[in-house]
Amino acid sequence: MKPIVVRYGIRPLACFFVLIAIPLTSLHCGKNSANEVIIYVSEDQVFSEPILNDFRRETGIPVKAVFDTEESKSTGVMNRLIAEKGNPQADVYWANEPIRAEVLKQKGIAAPYFSPAARDIPEKFKDPEGYWTGFSARVRVLIVRAALAEKPQSVLSYVDPLWNGRGVIANPLFGTTTVELAALFVLWGDDRAKTFMTGMKKNNVRISTSNGESADFVASGQSDFSLVDSDDAVNRMRQGKSVQMIYPDQGSGEMGCMVVPNAVLLVNGAPHPAQAKKLIDYLLSKETERKLAFADCAQVPLHPSVETPPDIRAIDRLSTIPINYAEVARKVLEIQPYLKAWLGY
Amino acid sequence: MTAKRTILTGIFLLVIVLGLFPILAMIAASLHADGRWTFDSYQGLLTSRREWALLRHSFVLAASVSLLTALFGVPLGILFGKTDFPMRRFFTIAFTVPLMIPPYITAIGWADFLGANGLFAKLCGEAAAGAAYNLLFGFTGCLFVLFSTFLPVVILLTMTSLKSVHPRLEDAGRLVTGWPGVLRRITVPLILPSILFGIILVFLLTIGEFGVPNFLRYDVFVLESFVQFSAFYNFGAATAAVLPLALFTVLALLIEWVFLRERFHEVQTVPEKAASPVIELGGCRTGSFVWTAVFCLTVVALPLTVLVGRSFSVSVYASALAVASDSLLRSLVYAVLGASLLSLVGFFMGYLVGRQALPFWRTADTLTIFLFALPSAVIGIGLISLWNRPLTNFIYGSSTMIIIGYLVKYAALTSRITASTLSMIPQSMEDAGELAGLGWMRRIGWIVAPMARKGLLGGWLVGYVFCLRDLETTMIIYPPGHETLPVRIMTLMANSPPERIAALCVVMACATVVPPALAWSLVSLKRGGRNHETH
Repeated sequence: MKPIVVRYGIRPLACFFVLIAIPLTSLHCGKNSANEVIIYVSEDQVFSEPILNDFRRETGIPVKAVFDTEESKSTGVMNRLIAEKGNPQADVYWANEPIRAEVLKQKGIAAPYFSPAARDIPEKFKDPEGYWTGFSARVRVLIVRAALAEKPQSVLSYVDPLWNGRGVIANPLFGTTTVELAALFVLWGDDRAKTFMTGMKKNNVRISTSNGESADFVASGQSDFSLVDSDDAVNRMRQGKSVQMIYPDQGSGEMGCMVVPNAVLLVNGAPHPAQAKKLIDYLLSKETERKLAFADCAQVPLHPSVETPPDIRAIDRLSTIPINYAEVARKVLEIQPYLKAWLGY
Repeated sequence: MTAKRTILTGIFLLVIVLGLFPILAMIAASLHADGRWTFDSYQGLLTSRREWALLRHSFVLAASVSLLTALFGVPLGILFGKTDFPMRRFFTIAFTVPLMIPPYITAIGWADFLGANGLFAKLCGEAAAGAAYNLLFGFTGCLFVLFSTFLPVVILLTMTSLKSVHPRLEDAGRLVTGWPGVLRRITVPLILPSILFGIILVFLLTIGEFGVPNFLRYDVFVLESFVQFSAFYNFGAATAAVLPLALFTVLALLIEWVFLRERFHEVQTVPEKAASPVIELGGCRTGSFVWTAVFCLTVVALPLTVLVGRSFSVSVYASALAVASDSLLRSLVYAVLGASLLSLVGFFMGYLVGRQALPFWRTADTLTIFLFALPSAVIGIGLISLWNRPLTNFIYGSSTMIIIGYLVKYAALTSRITASTLSMIPQSMEDAGELAGLGWMRRIGWIVAPMARKGLLGGWLVGYVFCLRDLETTMIIYPPGHETLPVRIMTLMANSPPERIAALCVVMACATVVPPALAWSLVSLKRGGRNHETH
């Protein structure tokens, strides 16, 4: 006992306190400063971070970001924005689809801002009151096995007996699949949309956890086709998988495909509004759209005459579903209990 | 007496404020909607068949993982802690590695191994790989990954508790029967409380685990709460959805109270120098070594080797570090701070519990275990609800939030380790100090802390590992620009090159394993040097 007391005593405890006290005080060194901008991002980090780095380099304004994860179905930061409503921390929210932006508008979390950089973006991709603005879109496409002699050309293939048990769709409770189904409910009305959903079930459609997984099922030959985002399809094609991308319902008199733009919004009560507006302007610029078109996410620019790679079809060459995003956002929340029941949850 | 009461009560209140208040804030929010009090959030709970099915999935998975870890962990713990098994220290460390890294990294390793372009497909053909891949994605995969992750919990608890068995009892037993009989009738019954505690711990860890079932696509009940957060943005319903899991936790704690608590605190005091008799394996030595080595290679080495193989290029590591070196540095700093504070808080909480120092010791113990078992999403949102106010913005906007998250989530670990260490330090030592006129703080500083230094170091290392690997809590509360490495790996996983993700996983594993291994080596070296001096 004696040597222990002499050797260790109480001094190490005191040193221990000092050692942890110094770095603890330094934790506050990273606190927010006046000339910076804080952004919450639902777009994949691998695509969005280079854009934010470019903004920092070009303007000198430091950017602090919180990124979402696939694990949280890209809704983690949205939940955080809602939880922080009373004391907002973020200046800007970069949503990977406009429905989240619309929900935030309805919850009073967005503030209006008409960016001069978005002047040329078509009105249908912008909130008329300026609460959010769309840019660089994904398109909902069919990814199909290249080996198929006859390929599905329409969303209605899901209810066609020819494709019984051969289609897969991502869990309709999440992401762009929810958005597309809500858009169909708005476009067709509840009765026809529910008949379509019942038909899909009867046609033994397979449910996957995400669009990425759906694309993998098709790429590995486990399913013949799936409705996915264009970036999922382009990604598999660029990986050399034996798949093709088909823009559905492009024929004359058909409804067209659905376009899902990114959306950016100014947070209500943003701590750094001036910097936030600069960042929003930057994100909505033609140059950002060009970068996102050439990145692996292969997004379709919404500005006219922005250069794109050859495997991306320009927005003016697509027949698209006419969408009122506000209406679709309301419908998304309305049909969630139905979708939950449809899934057997 | 006043200092003891003040400090222990203060630490207990700190845990209540940091840990319990956020949960109460969440519960209050779930009971309050549109300006009135309501049970609406709770009315629909467990009314659908799917919810019951998910609950069954969670229970079956947790029970299976617990059972399997006990079946393999106890024999391995005895093998490493009680026999002349060769390289037992190496194997103990090796089996501990999966616990030290985020479980999803192990899952990624297995998915890479069994995937279409993986090693298994090259060795056994695409058809076999496809079948194995399908087996991985579901119950079997979850069971296997979580089993390999939590196996060391039972191994280490078995090994530690073996040290508390007085050698005289075993020596007496050996006079009438061989080692198998001694183990069956004396040793295992004596360490049974620790084994059962390990099983309960594994059960709670599994039932609250979200990352692995989510990655391997196996629906469990935590998902229900997650759906309420992510599809409905309904915090009230999400809180309500956690209730069944909270009940499981309470049930597990009740079992521990009723069956184990008294026996847990009746651990024998073994003199440090008392030599524990070693079982000689004799002819079984080679066979058991081969079996253990193959098992270790399969469970531990294979998934990590696959990740190393996939990322085996300097340029890949250079690009990985270029995007994540700042996150790595932050992770290390936060983990060191978190572990140090956890050691401090855990020491006093452990003293309170281990010495039953104040009447509310049982409440304190239950509270920390309850917070440990709660899903991280609930703790995260609760912390946001409590701390994100203009008055406390200086805390919410800084990395202190991450440290608070660690404290809330992992105080149980360092508290229990301290309690267990203190149970081996006789109360008479403190009594002697008191008779000599030492105050409580001096007794702690001069007698208890020095004697518990190994336990404190062990607690610090456990705290470090759990802080460093934490994902779910940090992901919800980290301030902008302060993401840690596990969070960065998760956010980069979507559409990043698989080689880069594999490299980051390897970096993460090294950052977790190397510092504790170095600390272990230093302590061993020092101990070796001291023994040498004695001889």
